[in-house]
Amino acid sequence: MNATEQNIAVDETSNWELTVRLLKFSWQYKFRCIQVLSYQLLMLFTGLAGLGLTGLGIDFLRYQVVPGTDPPNWPFGLEPPVNIAPLSVIMGIAVTILGFALFRSCLNYFYTMSMGKLIYVDIVATLRALVFEKMQKLSFRFFDANASGTIINRVASDVGALRMFMEGVFIQSFIMILSLVVYLVYMLNIHVLLTLACLATTPLLWIVSVIFSKKTRPLYMENRTLMDNLVMTFVEHIQGINTIKGFYLEKDSIGQFEQASGRVRNQRQRIFNNVTIFAPFVGLLTQINLVILLGYGGYLVVNGELSIGTGIVVFAGLLQQFSGQISNLAGIVDSIQQSLAGARRVFEILDAPIEVIPPENPHLLVEAKGAVRFEHVHFKYHEMNTVLNDVDFSVAPGEVIAIAGATGSGKSALMSLIPRFYDPNEGRILLDGHDLRTLRIEDIRHNIGLVFQESFLFSNTIASNIAFGHPSATRDQIVKAAKIAAAHEFIEEMPEGYDSIISESGVNLSGGQRQRVAIARALLLEPAVLLLDDPTASVDPETEHEILEAIENAIEGRTTFIVAHRLSTLRRADRIIVLDHGRIVEMGKHDELMSQKGTYSQAINIQAIDPASMKLLKATRTKKDGEL
Amino acid sequence: MSVRHDLSLARTDKTRNREKEQRPLELSLIKRLFSYTQPYAFKRNILFFLVLLRGALIPLLALVVSITINGPITDKDLVGILWYAIGFGAFALFLQITLVYRQKFALELGESVVQDLRNLLFRQLMRMPMSYFNKTRLGRIISRMTTDIETLRTGVQNVLFVTIVGLMQMICSGICMAYYNIVLFSVILVMAPLLWIINQYFHKKISATSRELQESFSRVTASLVESVKGIRVTQGFVREDINAGIFRRLVQDHSSYNLKASRNTAIYIPLLELNSQFFIASILMIGGYGTLSPDWDMPVADLISFFFLANLFFNPISQLGLRFTDALSAMAGAERVFRLLDAEPEWTDASDAQTIDSMKGQLEFRNVTFAYEPENPVLHDINFKAEPGQTIALVGHTGCGKTSIINLISKFYLPTSGEILIDGKEIRNIKSASLRSQMGVVLQNNFIFSGTVLDNIRLGKLDATDEEVIDAVRQLNCLDLIGAMTEGIRTKVTEKGGGLSLGQQQLICFARAFLADPRILILDEATSSIDTITEARLQESMSTLLAGRTSIVVAHRLSTIRSADLILVLDDGRIVERGTHTELLSLDGTYSNLYRQFIDSDI
Repeated sequence: MNATEQNIAVDETSNWELTVRLLKFSWQYKFRCIQVLSYQLLMLFTGLAGLGLTGLGIDFLRYQVVPGTDPPNWPFGLEPPVNIAPLSVIMGIAVTILGFALFRSCLNYFYTMSMGKLIYVDIVATLRALVFEKMQKLSFRFFDANASGTIINRVASDVGALRMFMEGVFIQSFIMILSLVVYLVYMLNIHVLLTLACLATTPLLWIVSVIFSKKTRPLYMENRTLMDNLVMTFVEHIQGINTIKGFYLEKDSIGQFEQASGRVRNQRQRIFNNVTIFAPFVGLLTQINLVILLGYGGYLVVNGELSIGTGIVVFAGLLQQFSGQISNLAGIVDSIQQSLAGARRVFEILDAPIEVIPPENPHLLVEAKGAVRFEHVHFKYHEMNTVLNDVDFSVAPGEVIAIAGATGSGKSALMSLIPRFYDPNEGRILLDGHDLRTLRIEDIRHNIGLVFQESFLFSNTIASNIAFGHPSATRDQIVKAAKIAAAHEFIEEMPEGYDSIISESGVNLSGGQRQRVAIARALLLEPAVLLLDDPTASVDPETEHEILEAIENAIEGRTTFIVAHRLSTLRRADRIIVLDHGRIVEMGKHDELMSQKGTYSQAINIQAIDPASMKLLKATRTKKDGEL
Repeated sequence: MSVRHDLSLARTDKTRNREKEQRPLELSLIKRLFSYTQPYAFKRNILFFLVLLRGALIPLLALVVSITINGPITDKDLVGILWYAIGFGAFALFLQITLVYRQKFALELGESVVQDLRNLLFRQLMRMPMSYFNKTRLGRIISRMTTDIETLRTGVQNVLFVTIVGLMQMICSGICMAYYNIVLFSVILVMAPLLWIINQYFHKKISATSRELQESFSRVTASLVESVKGIRVTQGFVREDINAGIFRRLVQDHSSYNLKASRNTAIYIPLLELNSQFFIASILMIGGYGTLSPDWDMPVADLISFFFLANLFFNPISQLGLRFTDALSAMAGAERVFRLLDAEPEWTDASDAQTIDSMKGQLEFRNVTFAYEPENPVLHDINFKAEPGQTIALVGHTGCGKTSIINLISKFYLPTSGEILIDGKEIRNIKSASLRSQMGVVLQNNFIFSGTVLDNIRLGKLDATDEEVIDAVRQLNCLDLIGAMTEGIRTKVTEKGGGLSLGQQQLICFARAFLADPRILILDEATSSIDTITEARLQESMSTLLAGRTSIVVAHRLSTIRSADLILVLDDGRIVERGTHTELLSLDGTYSNLYRQFIDSDI
């Protein structure tokens, strides 16, 4: 079996193309993007103003108190008139600081809110809905090829990766570049040489952060795999506890678990060795900057080229912010990798071709009569193996067709071509004389009732499950369908009747009951064609008869295709189609096929009752009849 | 904005009782958690020392900066500046080195404790009897091992040590500030509780929102999971557009909670910043007043020192708030983990239980009554005897007690009253290990572990060579079925037997039991029907498997039932008929009726 065609394919689009595509996607929301960035810019300036004013306050005080100090540099020549008391000047500065702070807080509020709207409302919600919508329309091939877990992850977490791109990469890089430029200009404005000296270590910090993130990322990924493995080992051992205890494997299991647990721990150790060096190293570099500031800055102060407040104190504050922004770089590099990987998976779904294409000028068919014709149909799931080979037959309205054959003989494929879940590779399938490809898909499927091997019921009320294909159905319609499906009685017996919720912790239906609800669901549409794909497969033989009655009622007056192993069903059919390796090998009524002594009669004989038992049963029966 | 959740595809259960996320600090729990660090006492003690050291030294480092500015820089003493700068550098280097070890030891200690607890938990779970696993939801057991243990890790790695560093830092910077200027410091002291209150208020709010956020997200994922699993139904009934509409509303609902969360941080973070700005402004005001007014002679230098020290005083407050929340969740996690570790198994082997070396395989039930819950017994007065090598078939409707009988034979449960004898010995007096090592169990759900087919079969006998495994498959006459898999017997199986057909899964379980070569075989036949041809093959293998050993079979197939030495027909926990196939058919009772249903014939 080779099911990798539509699998998580190796994608050739480069990171760069992907980034451009992501940026284009984000640019749909340019208004909000610009809004977010402008708030950020304004915040940057108000922050700087607060810091600058603090320095100014200190300088002013020193000028007033310490003799021989230079007067402070008033920004924009806003020197207060000499007749104002120094205390009032200080108060004025303090109040301005507070004013700026208040303003900045408001800005921050609006910034965070518009960022939230951009991310959660504009981008994530839109994308999730888009991906979900697209996913639902993809062909079954996609669902066969990918584990349900990975599909769910694409909508749930991978879309989150796009959020990360916006928040962690796009906006964050803008902020970083913007603040670095602004800080740099501000610092250069204070003293060029001091700025350069203090920032001498910055490139080193930059390089180290990037190297660090490159080095630890594989370690973290390895750790995640090991941890997943540990959890999986654990879950399997709990789920399979019957087997473990039954074969007395507890000791071995403990050994296996402790090994996995030890691997996680040893690998973590390697991560610790890296992590614990990085943070102190960054801290140290920042402090080296401070050492330079103290030494060289102190020298400048002594020479009168720099003031203490607006000079050294402000510089110290700025340096801290500066290295904070630089160490963000590692985070950004990380986010790029992760978000691109997620984005790739999301776009794969959005770009996946829809296989079954609705016709442009469909032929309308509201109520079908139920004549089905296969014309030399060839079909394969993949290039390699043909599943159906020249299948050709026609069915009159109301006929009951049983399909028999070994696993892999093409029974399910034949069934799934009728509602046009796939298109045949050659030949055509007609419903009431129209090629399925000329009809609207909703018209086809509304005329076909489907019951699967293991019917999936949604965890909702029984009523809404029955009304799944026709949500506006009335309660009467629902009850009517349930009655035909022999489900009404057991539903009524439940404490909340049709409003009982089917779920893990709600009502638990038996296999036979689930199938009867599924049959009611198919019948509600009053379909002309009924497809029953081995509906008794997953049911206890002891309770199987419960469903048989429902099936008997359901097929009344409808063209029916039923995959079956049971003798009674096969006997009841107007015609039996026996498939072998995708070809029709035998076709006819039960008695005809039995007399042919072919594949069919062989298979039937395996499960038939032995003559001795038959005799015994007959004997007791006649005895009873005689007593009557 | 609210959504009518009854429109959703999947209803998430609101009544399901959630486990508590937090628990107040409890000394006994802390003590016990602490006791797990005992094996690493040396590392732990060094860690405590480092933590205290750093708490004291961090404020001093800040002080050096302000002293340098206030001292040599103000005094224009060039040599002094140089020395102070060098001193600062050396001090900083030393502090960063202590940080390396502080982090390393804390992480290592946490990881070691977590690993020990993980292993202890697993051992404990393996010791628990089956009844525990039937009563406890899988999700709960998994979250003991994942979420709860993780909160404990955070508890050990972060909470304690970060809290100590933070507190020390606050105390030391507080002392320094108080030493420099008691008036300015008292202003700061007044603001501290205010900051704490703001923090706690928002933490509560934020964690409440994040709970709502999780709930709305679980509605989104529940719908998503069902949509993927039910995709065939959805497409078959042309519900794509309606479902997309429902999902869109759920996603919008979720994003409205996200916005609510954003609003919280949008208020909280600026408020914190405002607070520190407010503090700077007030220092300037008070300090300005103090330095400028003639009757209050305060040096400007104090202002600079405060500028550096105050941050060290304030930062830990929000840190501590965060850690406090972590600590409460760690308490809840610890309580649950310890509860499981302390749980006593309902029963264990009797202390004088014996091992039986070579079992013959005789099995007898004497007046056995059994109940999972005392109020409703599921088996009443069961009596039967199987001689070595016989096959006993259990027949009856779902819920009649078949599975309970095999649970008792495997000693997964003990009977409420009566005796079960194996080779004439009471099952209670036989060690579970010795019993199960001579017993094979093949259950309906065919549990397959991830690994290769080979590994899965080898579970029956761990020391079997590859050849022995292949030989077992050959003897079951199924080598061709296994050979047909992509990589034969080395085909990789994903979780729960993914990638294998039901028939192949059953075959693996047969081979597993065959390899174990048990004296007593317990077999719960799978109910789901496989196509007739594969079915015939499996039945052949099964008769090979049953031959030569005592077998108890919960039978769903005609051929199995027919060839049994003894058929027990169960109804509502009682044996209603017993005998061979022919005997029972002549009775024309329950068995005959069941048989008619089986063969689906009106004879």
